Amino acid sequence: MLTDREPGRYLRQVALFGEEAQERLASARVVIVGAGGLGCPVALYLAAAGIGEVRLVDGDVVDKTNLNRQVLHGDRDIGRPKVESAAEKLRAQNPEITVIATYAAVDDGNAATLVGGADLIVDATDNYRVRYTLNRVALDAHVPLIHGAVRGFDGQATTIIPGRTACLECIIPIAPPEEGATPVVGTTPGIIGLIQANEAIKYITGTGDLLTNRLLIWDGRAATMTTLPVERQEECSACGSGRCSRR
Amino acid sequence: MQVRVRAFARLREAIGGDLTLEVPEGATMSRLLAAVGETSDQAGEALFEESGELRGYVILMHNGRRVRRAATGTLALADGDEVALFPPVAGG
Ligand SMILES: [Zn+2]
Repeated sequence: MLTDREPGRYLRQVALFGEEAQERLASARVVIVGAGGLGCPVALYLAAAGIGEVRLVDGDVVDKTNLNRQVLHGDRDIGRPKVESAAEKLRAQNPEITVIATYAAVDDGNAATLVGGADLIVDATDNYRVRYTLNRVALDAHVPLIHGAVRGFDGQATTIIPGRTACLECIIPIAPPEEGATPVVGTTPGIIGLIQANEAIKYITGTGDLLTNRLLIWDGRAATMTTLPVERQEECSACGSGRCSRR
Repeated sequence: MQVRVRAFARLREAIGGDLTLEVPEGATMSRLLAAVGETSDQAGEALFEESGELRGYVILMHNGRRVRRAATGTLALADGDEVALFPPVAGG
């Protein structure tokens, strides 16, 4: 099937993990929530890797102040929905995959529908309200969630497998306060986004060790990465025995 | 006794790097956190609310294990222990 399509495109990675793994990527459906600093690199590298269906969800339009880091968007995209701008670049990068652009802001009411049918959810959002919503939807649907967040030169990432690993609320039960315009250099979401994309490729192909029960911390000033061990919390309000009834 | 403190993100910026702090024998995690907060105004601000309460979202680790907030007042540290402090980031 791959050879019917494009023999050369995935040659170098098929050499790495084999045809069967490539088939798994081709049949995978990944939802990326957020088409900003994290979402752009995640989407670009997952599209390039041949993820069969890349679904982008974001309710924002491109603003000039996005352009230092949201690398799929250019000057001429200012004012366009981010998902449209991003989808156009992804389709140009890899016409062999399906790219679905959903111009909508995720909230408690629509989250389950927007991520429905996905094999994997990527948290490329910029606030904990939506992150906690995605975490609960992922737990309910038993779909893995790959979390990333950034500020300044600092970033964090973790992979959540519902029912098996610490969930986002086990790790970060209390959200840090929101900032108006978070200071950030574009390389930080670039690095964290690629860690998230790498986790997605590993999960789908069954390669390597996932960032489960570990919180990766990137310090761009020091150029160091550390992982802190984290564990499921029995009293977690999202996945523990103390979980509150929801919806 | 000496306790090594590894700080991340904004807390690292506030402190300027890792620290080794001299604290009294048997000092608790709370005592250590107060000592970290006293190193500078920014460090104090990064760790504590205006009320003096520890900021709830800061992830506390003791020798590689997560410490719950409720345990900070009773967890006694030992010479050579390592404490890691990470205020999670939020942007995307
Ligand atoms: Zn949990």
